[in-house]
Amino acid sequence: MPEVFIDGKRFEYEGDHQLLQFILDQGLEVPFLCYHPSMSIPANCRQCMVKVGQPVRDRESGDFELDENGERVIRWFPKLQTSCNIQVADGMVVQTQETDDLVKRAQKDTLEFILANHPLDCPICDQAGECPLQIQTYKYGPEGSRFEVKKVHKPKRVQLGPRVVLDAERCINCTRCVRFTDEISESHQLTIVSRGDKNYPMTAPGREFDDEYSLNTVDICPVGALTSADFRFKARVWEMNQTPSIDISNGKGCNIDLWTRDNMVLRITPRFNEDVNDHWMPDKGREAYNIFNENRISRPVQKLDDEQIKSSWNNALETIAEQIENVDSKDVLFIGSPHASVEENYVLMQMANLLGVGIPSFTTDIEDGYGDGFLISDDHAPNTNGCRLLGLQEESPAQLKKKVNGAKVVLLLNDKLVDRNVLEPSDFSDRFVVMFATNKSETTTAVDLLVPITTAAEHAASYVNVDHRIQRTIAAKETKYTNRRLDIEMSEGRLDRYGTSFDNWITEDNKVDCMPFWNFASQLSGRLGLTIEFNTGRDVMDKLSEEIPAFKGVDYTSIDEQSGIVLSNKEENVKS
Amino acid sequence: MSSVDWKNYKPVLIPDVKDLHKIDVYEKNGGYKAFKEILTDKKKWEGPKAVVNEVKAANIRGRGGAGFNAGLKWSFMPPADGGARYLACNGDESEPGTFKDRKIFEYNPHAFIEGALIAAYAMEITTIYVYIRGEYKVYIDMMDKAIQDAYDKGYIGKDIFGSGYSVDFHTHSGAGAYICGEETSMLESLEGKRGYPRVKPPFPAQKGLWGRPTTINNIETLAHVPNVINKGANWFASIGAENHPGPILYGISGHINQPGVYELPSGVPVLDLIHEVAGGMRNGKKLKAVIPGGSSTPIMRADQLEGITMDSESLREVGTMLGTAGMVIMDEDTDMVDMLWRISHFYHHESCGQCTPCRDGTGWLEKILLRIKNGDGEIKDLDLLLDVTTQMEGRTICALADAAAWPVRHTITRFRDEFEARCKKSIHAVA
Repeated sequence: MPEVFIDGKRFEYEGDHQLLQFILDQGLEVPFLCYHPSMSIPANCRQCMVKVGQPVRDRESGDFELDENGERVIRWFPKLQTSCNIQVADGMVVQTQETDDLVKRAQKDTLEFILANHPLDCPICDQAGECPLQIQTYKYGPEGSRFEVKKVHKPKRVQLGPRVVLDAERCINCTRCVRFTDEISESHQLTIVSRGDKNYPMTAPGREFDDEYSLNTVDICPVGALTSADFRFKARVWEMNQTPSIDISNGKGCNIDLWTRDNMVLRITPRFNEDVNDHWMPDKGREAYNIFNENRISRPVQKLDDEQIKSSWNNALETIAEQIENVDSKDVLFIGSPHASVEENYVLMQMANLLGVGIPSFTTDIEDGYGDGFLISDDHAPNTNGCRLLGLQEESPAQLKKKVNGAKVVLLLNDKLVDRNVLEPSDFSDRFVVMFATNKSETTTAVDLLVPITTAAEHAASYVNVDHRIQRTIAAKETKYTNRRLDIEMSEGRLDRYGTSFDNWITEDNKVDCMPFWNFASQLSGRLGLTIEFNTGRDVMDKLSEEIPAFKGVDYTSIDEQSGIVLSNKEENVKS
Repeated sequence: MSSVDWKNYKPVLIPDVKDLHKIDVYEKNGGYKAFKEILTDKKKWEGPKAVVNEVKAANIRGRGGAGFNAGLKWSFMPPADGGARYLACNGDESEPGTFKDRKIFEYNPHAFIEGALIAAYAMEITTIYVYIRGEYKVYIDMMDKAIQDAYDKGYIGKDIFGSGYSVDFHTHSGAGAYICGEETSMLESLEGKRGYPRVKPPFPAQKGLWGRPTTINNIETLAHVPNVINKGANWFASIGAENHPGPILYGISGHINQPGVYELPSGVPVLDLIHEVAGGMRNGKKLKAVIPGGSSTPIMRADQLEGITMDSESLREVGTMLGTAGMVIMDEDTDMVDMLWRISHFYHHESCGQCTPCRDGTGWLEKILLRIKNGDGEIKDLDLLLDVTTQMEGRTICALADAAAWPVRHTITRFRDEFEARCKKSIHAVA
């Protein structure tokens, strides 16, 4: 097998590799700024310099030539090479900054050049704390600056488009943003303008950087040159918790990180998943962070004399139980939701089953032509396939409307049917409608009883995306009824691990008075004398994977390990 | 050492013929004979390979500055596969001190056109671009006319002389960037993109213009080709210096009585060029320094010049190179600090900004030099300058960082006392 020696260690490899990526794959480190594994390699930052040599072979026999000590004779490249664009070759010998002083010096020199015209305004820069330039300067950079002359001045605070702000002085001209619009989003909206040290990225004159994927350039910008207009100056990155999750604003189910502070989600960034979204996500998915913070329903709400007033959890339980008990089971309609998780829909289905009211209905939220064939799908809902695999009754909007009008009590899981024009408020008038919802909407104002439930940011639950891939969320923020310390599904942040009680960061602020749907359902079933009892989404998944063939063998551990599992299409037909 | 007999040399590239730029006159003087011969005389020229071999044997060292054997370069082209192949002729000459190609555009454009056609035939290329710097508007127009004349006469176009060989010829104007004279950024510019040099490998012969095999040659290099075909490789190889043969266009400028472009054999002694060819120093001043081949080549002090000839071997002895043979002559009144600042200003202005060391290094060099020029510099700045040049050299995609670093390094090391004299005296007295 071909071999390569990096800092004296031997590695075997197969196939074609670029040296830098190969080094990174071995868990070793070489600093770099312009290279990005998903884009073309411009080799313009000159940061990933290494010393590269090839063993000398005898022309005739092909054997390695050996020196007097029996070591292979190495012919070194006359210049240092950028490791990002050099192919790993058999027998290659590489020396990085760990073993070669010239390489160390070259990397330090490059950082000195980059910092020469860099404003060094880290204390007020959003990127500080997650800035590759900052990290590498601390690790490999010069001790001080010898640049005693005037720095170049360039445009600052340029609103490139609705979502992205440019500070050209911070830019180090790595061209990642330009390459992103050329190669990934293919909008070609950015280019480098001017020349030499006056270079910076810009749009064509009079054009906006309104790419559907524009905020990805903020993520890949290795400095604070491109910042998010929305997130700018909101938080320092080290104050926030980073929790892996799933984008629930679209059927694609991009893998994301939720960044939280004080029980508020402050921003969403994409998380690498080769099989779903690579390193990217659409801007729309990021804007969805507000649904976790704003417009939330806190405490149950009941309609009395056409006015919705705050109620109590006890009252909500009693009211629902009474309504169900007072009518014949065939007059009760349960409506599931492609916007809710697999677990929530399953619990609803179980309740319907035990009450003998038939399989819950649902209607899809698919808009033909909405998708772009990349990371935005036609499906607005994150879990349409989950509902189908569970075996919920798929209805057309008209059928659903007819069913609602034929029922006396309707239990509706989080789906804005009025906002989506499936139903009208008048459809709710002659019957008692209970809705389990996360956010206020036109639909919630029309119902008789509103029970607040947790969002994807507050519970661990799974969703099946348009490609039949089941992925899951992890709770990122607390509610009145979920405790970070007790709930093992809650992600641990930096402050969880290293904070002391004096940090005083656990706040009662911004905690929504809601609970996971399965917890409320367990309480309700206790009141109704049914046998549903679930503490967490994990419990629900364990139960439903035993019961429903499509989910056979699925559990949270394997979802986490494989970063999502594709559920076979065949099993879709095998309905229990 | 045997000196080159330059006094009896008769120019062949820009000969003393009236109206040679007109196609009729060019034809009368043996023009397009070579091209016709290689296309029609199948006994003498068995095919494209024979032409490549002849040019390789002539050892035309590329006149754009790098000095690579042109025929060898042609032989790197992969075999024709039916797809597009390009010849890109580099007429972007923008290096300060270099102004030789304009003479060819002006006085003998058809020699270049014919050379390009022969090169295209030899490499089985069907499209030729000539990239001319935008400032040469008048020569672009002249080239357009000359190309049109050649089309009308049937030297360019479909099925030339019934040989079945067809070729197209286009001019392309630069937009004022020095970097577009670098061969790969010229290709980017030809493609309509921003002039950023490309990472090599892949080399243009594998992946050039629009990803297809491409050869890039300097205008002067190509203009020599018809003579090589007419008079033979041996004739060319016998002229001038052994390792860098052939006629060269010397562009001599500066403090000299008769600045201009002179066609002479390679290997003429530098002092002969100054004192005899170009009429001696202006106002009888003393010679101080010479830049031999465009502003990026290391400068030579007057006391280094004895016995040095204009060929790569001899110039290497004094640590410099032939470059484009665009010589800048400086007299005793020249302020080296001002001169060096001006050169650094040029490279700062012209760095494309792609690679970090060049983008930020060229500006840093210029700003320190400006400080020294203004009398605010300190002695330590000189060492800093040398350090910065070390940090730039050989660490970028193209050679612009080297071109910016060399003049600084060599001017300071060769005229250090002048720079020190301009610096502030250190407050740290040395006992």
